[in-house]
Amino acid sequence: MELELRDVSKHFGGIQALNGVSLRLSGSQLVGLIGPNGSGKTTLVNTISGIYKPDDGEIILNGEEIGRLKANEVTRRGVGRTFQVTRAFRRMTVMENMLVPALAVPSDRGHREIKERAREILSFLTIDHLRNDYARSLSGGQQKLLELGQLLMTDPDLLLLDEPFAGVHPKLMETIFEYITTVHAQGKSFIIISHDMSSIFTLSQRLVVLHYGDIIADGPPDIVKEDPAVIEAYLGEDEDD
Amino acid sequence: MKYFLSLCTTGVIMGVIYALMALGLTLIFSILRVINFAHGEFYMLGGYASYFILSTFTGLHPLLAVPLAGLIAALIGLAFEIAFLRPMHQGRIERPDEYAILITFGLSFFLMNLALAVFGPYPHRPPSFFQGAVRLGFVNVSADRLTASILSLALLTLLLLIINKTWIGIALQAVSQNKDAAAVVGINPLRMNTLAFGLGVGLAATAGALLAPSFLIVPDVGAVPSIRSYVIIVLGGMGSIQGSILGGLLIGLVESLGAGYFPDPSRALNYKTAFGLVIFALVLLFRPRGFFGRKEV
Amino acid sequence: MTTYAKSTGRRFWFRPQWAAALVALVIALLVPLYLQIHSPYWLHVLIVAYFYAILASSWSLLAGYAGQFSFGHMAFMAIGAYTTGLIGRLVRLTTAPTGMCAEIPLPGRDLWLVFINTVGDNCLELGKVNMPAGTLIYRPPILSGIILGALIAGLAGLAIGALVLRFKAAYLALFTIAFSEILRTLIRGEPQITRGDHGLRVAPLFPQTISRVPDYYTMLAILVASLLFMYWLASSRVGLFLRAIREDEEAAAARGVDVVRYKVLTFVITSMLAGLAGAFFAHYITILSPNIIVLPQMGLVIAMAIIGGVESLAAAAIGGMIIQISLELLREFEAWRLVIFGALLILTLRFARNGLLAPLLQRLSGTVPRAESREEASQAELGEEVGA
Repeated sequence: MELELRDVSKHFGGIQALNGVSLRLSGSQLVGLIGPNGSGKTTLVNTISGIYKPDDGEIILNGEEIGRLKANEVTRRGVGRTFQVTRAFRRMTVMENMLVPALAVPSDRGHREIKERAREILSFLTIDHLRNDYARSLSGGQQKLLELGQLLMTDPDLLLLDEPFAGVHPKLMETIFEYITTVHAQGKSFIIISHDMSSIFTLSQRLVVLHYGDIIADGPPDIVKEDPAVIEAYLGEDEDD
Repeated sequence: MKYFLSLCTTGVIMGVIYALMALGLTLIFSILRVINFAHGEFYMLGGYASYFILSTFTGLHPLLAVPLAGLIAALIGLAFEIAFLRPMHQGRIERPDEYAILITFGLSFFLMNLALAVFGPYPHRPPSFFQGAVRLGFVNVSADRLTASILSLALLTLLLLIINKTWIGIALQAVSQNKDAAAVVGINPLRMNTLAFGLGVGLAATAGALLAPSFLIVPDVGAVPSIRSYVIIVLGGMGSIQGSILGGLLIGLVESLGAGYFPDPSRALNYKTAFGLVIFALVLLFRPRGFFGRKEV
Repeated sequence: MTTYAKSTGRRFWFRPQWAAALVALVIALLVPLYLQIHSPYWLHVLIVAYFYAILASSWSLLAGYAGQFSFGHMAFMAIGAYTTGLIGRLVRLTTAPTGMCAEIPLPGRDLWLVFINTVGDNCLELGKVNMPAGTLIYRPPILSGIILGALIAGLAGLAIGALVLRFKAAYLALFTIAFSEILRTLIRGEPQITRGDHGLRVAPLFPQTISRVPDYYTMLAILVASLLFMYWLASSRVGLFLRAIREDEEAAAARGVDVVRYKVLTFVITSMLAGLAGAFFAHYITILSPNIIVLPQMGLVIAMAIIGGVESLAAAAIGGMIIQISLELLREFEAWRLVIFGALLILTLRFARNGLLAPLLQRLSGTVPRAESREEASQAELGEEVGA
């Protein structure tokens, strides 16, 4: 997997959400994306995943410019994402939720194989027993697990997780940790947005810090932590977690 | 040239009235985020109300029925908003976007059939405001239409003043921009919703009452004006007040010029509304957010 | 295609809803035997009821499954009806060229496709003078008109869908309401072609008989076929994607679903079904007027679907039949009947969002989703789980 952002900009009305962001990601990395509220983290994930089109700049995935593609086309090219506020299909069962991405993205798996795989993933995420329940009857944390499960159904190479730990019960948190480390060990890359500093420091090999739409630091967590610009950016900011 | 100018004159005269009705729709959309699919039926209601008032109180000057008709429609609008739209803004309705489309369409279906049941399918016509016609440049305009246009212009000006200068107008603007922030400074968004809906449908009914002497009233008389208003707000940009006024004038001109220069004059009137659909399609193709729309479409 | 609907574990034919449908079908097949003798008028009422059932259920496929609200369903129906009507009026097949009309020789046969002009003297009549003796003139087969009617309705759906379905749901509603009203004005405004308010005469489907029984079975067959087709579609992957789109378009796209494509596909399919129903209906009532597209007609179809239950094809279809039959039974109330159904539509939307029939059908067939009936239970269970 090779992802490169070149001078990506995005603004809404007068607000500059991304200000010429450049970023390279190759091989199998686990990147933490942090920054104060409103620094453009979710906008960045939305732009990579095709929900937004960048105003300027290029997004290149494995040699192909994907900045103009629709979200479903980006997903087909091996990028999966979760949403900050979960967006599982509420009035569909858990199993149906898993089938949507599996059937939407072409693969050579048969129907039976797809269902088996869905159950395997659901078991791994500890929610297999809920597979015939409507997604809306799941707890917030379980819906997060379901979204993580949906991602794996399309075999992505790059997973973009938006606040995977926010508001999750500690018990489910462990499952999410295990998910990330296991999937990462299979050679997949992650970009994880989080306000949960201790989790993100433990997990990631590389931290990227956004501030008012600019990348102000990028490097190993230990070094970034000491960066004066980062400390400055976070000063006066109420830490959520 | 004379012909062109006279067409422009009639276009502007009608455009002002179109703008009034579209402004009502815009007001509702910008505050409630709801497209009122019953807008045309409030127009119809305005026409019937003025007819009813004038045939009951025969001594009344026809102009006095106009504000009364607007008021009656506004009261019906207020009641509908409180009973059926407010629960949506209180989060008591699932899938509110769908609900808003269907419930206002349901209201339109209900009102249209109610008018049919009460007044029957035959056309009604309230008395004229003033008899005769007035010479404007190269063209004779019926006194009724001119009156309607002048009053619409006055009402538009008054509304713009209210929206921009008074506390209530500024409160409405605040709610349209940011509900939560407005609530923080002590504006009750639910009350503003009700107010905006009442005001919006009141404007439609006023337009209906103003045009009632010029065009006959039948139960489905609102269909064409409401479609015209939809085209205007899409053209002007959903929720934009300047957009709906400019859009109204533009559609008035397009209809007048289009019908005036249509190759076969005997069929020109039939195609008047079709121009609107063409404009609708062109806007969606080339500038989906209209002249002044916010970027989200 | 594989079925992805949640299976209850029982075999297809043994599920109660299919058994009930089968019983209903048998009754529907036997009813004409009685009505033909005792009350032919009610046969007519049922034919119209089936017609509305097709419209209400196809509208509910678009609205209830895909979450797209079209106010132009009756316009597509009218496109189907007028297409076959106009073909019958203006198109002929001849064994010799007229030399006067616009005409195309059909390849491989000695047949000409002749288009009759709508302005001035009838070119076919003028051409007859020059045509050799024994020249045969046929009307095109009715079936070809019906098929073309459905196709053209589908094409109109494709054009409108491709234009409008990229935007939020309200735009479809806005555009189709305008389209449908303007189509009506055009039909009315071009009487040389469409005969306008005078009405366009359409050939009957079964000219040999005055009995309504063949029409009855035809309309029933179309209803059953379109319901089966829509159920198949809804239980295929397309149905799954549509429900995902309805829940959350952006999330569906993020999961790989080509949102616009499936919305357009559904819009085209439902437009074709409406066109097909309209085309058949035209040959049944044998006269068309622009008033078939008035908005109250559209409102009536929506009321049928919503009051029945817009998320269930069967409930919408049954809703259509019940309301059509009630309209007949309540004749003495005249215009007030529609006022009543208008009020019922509004109240159903507000207080029984899933319609009045759909919950009943669900209970009968036992397809209430597990989570629905035990939503609270599952929340409680969750509490335990987390606490463990």
